[in-house]
Amino acid sequence: MGKKQAGTGPLSRRPDNSAFKQQRLPAWSPSLTAQTVLPTFYILSLVCLFLGIWLFITVENTYELKVDYTNAGTCERCFDLRKHVIASKTPCTCTVSFQVPKTFQGDVFFYYGLRNFHQNLRRYMDSRDDAQMVGRKNNLKAPSSYCAPFDYDANRVPIAPCGAVANSMFNDSLTVMYNPAVGSEIQVPLYRKGIAWYTDKNVKFRNPPTNDTFTLQRAFEGTTRPLYWQRPVYELDDTDSNNNGFINDDLIVWMREAAFPNFKKLYGVLNRAQGPFTEGLPPGNYTLYINYNFPVEPFRGRKELVISMVTWFGGQNYFLPIAYLVTSGLILVAAVVLTMVYVKVGKKGKNMED
Amino acid sequence: CFSSSAAAHIGVGISGQEGIQAVLASDYSFSQFRFLQRLLLVHGRWSYLRMCRFLCYFFYKNFAFTMVHFWFGFFCGFSAQTVYDQYFITLYNIVYTSLPVLAMGLFDQDVPEQRSLEYPKLYEPGQLNLLFNKREFFICIAQGIYTSVVLFFIPYGVLSHATQSNGVPLADYQTFAVTTATALVIVVSVQIALDTGYWTAINHFFIWGSLGTYFTILFAMHSSILFNIFPKQFHFLGSAHNTLGQPVVWLTIALATVICIAPVLAFRFLKLDLKPQLSDTVRYTQLVLQKKQKPCGRVGRGVGGG
Repeated sequence: MGKKQAGTGPLSRRPDNSAFKQQRLPAWSPSLTAQTVLPTFYILSLVCLFLGIWLFITVENTYELKVDYTNAGTCERCFDLRKHVIASKTPCTCTVSFQVPKTFQGDVFFYYGLRNFHQNLRRYMDSRDDAQMVGRKNNLKAPSSYCAPFDYDANRVPIAPCGAVANSMFNDSLTVMYNPAVGSEIQVPLYRKGIAWYTDKNVKFRNPPTNDTFTLQRAFEGTTRPLYWQRPVYELDDTDSNNNGFINDDLIVWMREAAFPNFKKLYGVLNRAQGPFTEGLPPGNYTLYINYNFPVEPFRGRKELVISMVTWFGGQNYFLPIAYLVTSGLILVAAVVLTMVYVKVGKKGKNMED
Repeated sequence: CFSSSAAAHIGVGISGQEGIQAVLASDYSFSQFRFLQRLLLVHGRWSYLRMCRFLCYFFYKNFAFTMVHFWFGFFCGFSAQTVYDQYFITLYNIVYTSLPVLAMGLFDQDVPEQRSLEYPKLYEPGQLNLLFNKREFFICIAQGIYTSVVLFFIPYGVLSHATQSNGVPLADYQTFAVTTATALVIVVSVQIALDTGYWTAINHFFIWGSLGTYFTILFAMHSSILFNIFPKQFHFLGSAHNTLGQPVVWLTIALATVICIAPVLAFRFLKLDLKPQLSDTVRYTQLVLQKKQKPCGRVGRGVGGG
């Protein structure tokens, strides 16, 4: 029965008798009956319980240790020194001793942690130039205006890398030494590369083009280092050209802004090739040597070293297992309440008109 | 009489032998007086139902989406940093959540048309303003705010200390953004699935299609192709792959969905059980009728009844 049935006539303007136009489309009309809702709740509660227990057991196998070195040990002196901008060029080293009570089995990861440092402020996060850091020649010497006031220095020389994010890069050097019961101090060897995302290291950050004759230093000619840095970007790692310039792992790790004010970023991975570290990090006395450069007093922050083991689930993170267990409990309570209501009080959906 | 149509909610004109003057001034017009019954009891009632459900859902999904920024403000120094990727904010209302609610607003039916004609008392909620009033509005808003709390604090609690299995921390902004955005789209899709009372093929297509579109666009925008063209615009490179490849993230999203939806299910079930409206009981009997008639084929449907 189409519209063309009759151009004139009494039924010419009648709408189609199609399922769509007469709102007769075949459809499923679900209803929240007890047969569907109550089993759903019980099953949900059971699933959450199993997940919670499984995750809890997984997290129990991890271990994390934090060493706050802001003004611990001999770092009080450096902490006070870094309160003053004038002294920012003066090097300062300090040591903190700490104990590792039990073995870190397997791969051990070393992080530096910051507290109360807001990498998630809007102006801060906008203050970067991703086109410059992907190595584009046009953007290298013409940083984006978003980087202001960290785009040009006092002499109108462009800064590479520009912006507040790069400028505030974490520049403490941490060295962990193991003091065995017998023998002298051994430095804990760390892999300091391969700590960034694959896409960051290989796509998002690229150096300006170089070749055998055109070195990285020459590629960055005409730019200057960020204001708070001690070395220019092409000297971040002289020993490895794959870790120098914009593709320096530490720089990339720092440029991936943290979502919250208390965060940790990967510093290194334990090198388990030799010595007492083949099984992990043995328990005992350790000393942390710090080249203390990053000032935290202006924003009342804290700095810490975090040592952690990981599983498939990640590091020590009790929130998710406990949340699952709590949810399971609450859903079970709800299910029981609903069942009692349904059995005792409910009208069981009977036809009400008669 | 034109003054009465000014005081009424809608004007209905009957076109007939006296001329078409009333028709020109009215919202609806037809040729026979008896059609008024269908206009009110079927179409008017459905229209009221659809509008109310649409409105409630619309407020809910936007509150769930926006209030997350309020909670994030406490952690980002109130600097107005958005939780989501810029393009997600643009596309959320236009692409990811628009079609399902449109389908619900066009096709939803609580009871079939012949039942609507059989029980004129079903028309009462419209007259008494029962389906969308101040109380219902505040409930929708409260649900949206509750959802936003869950959608912010569950990812916050998990991701702020989480790491991947290769030791790289998951506490970065882009991971958090992708996690929260994905959880949001999934939760509001489940919610529209609960709200939709009449699932036509179009509803299915729109709901699953919107979810599929979200993931497609997400991976497309976080790909290296777009990044290499516009690095400053598409700086979320690699986030989708990195984030959604982590079991922690999916467990977080699942937990957030359960916490958001379980109370809704419980309250609706309680309401159905303790205080069923006439439309609920009619709908239930219709369901029972259909189950009985299933072996004989679908005879209960169609224009036949009216």
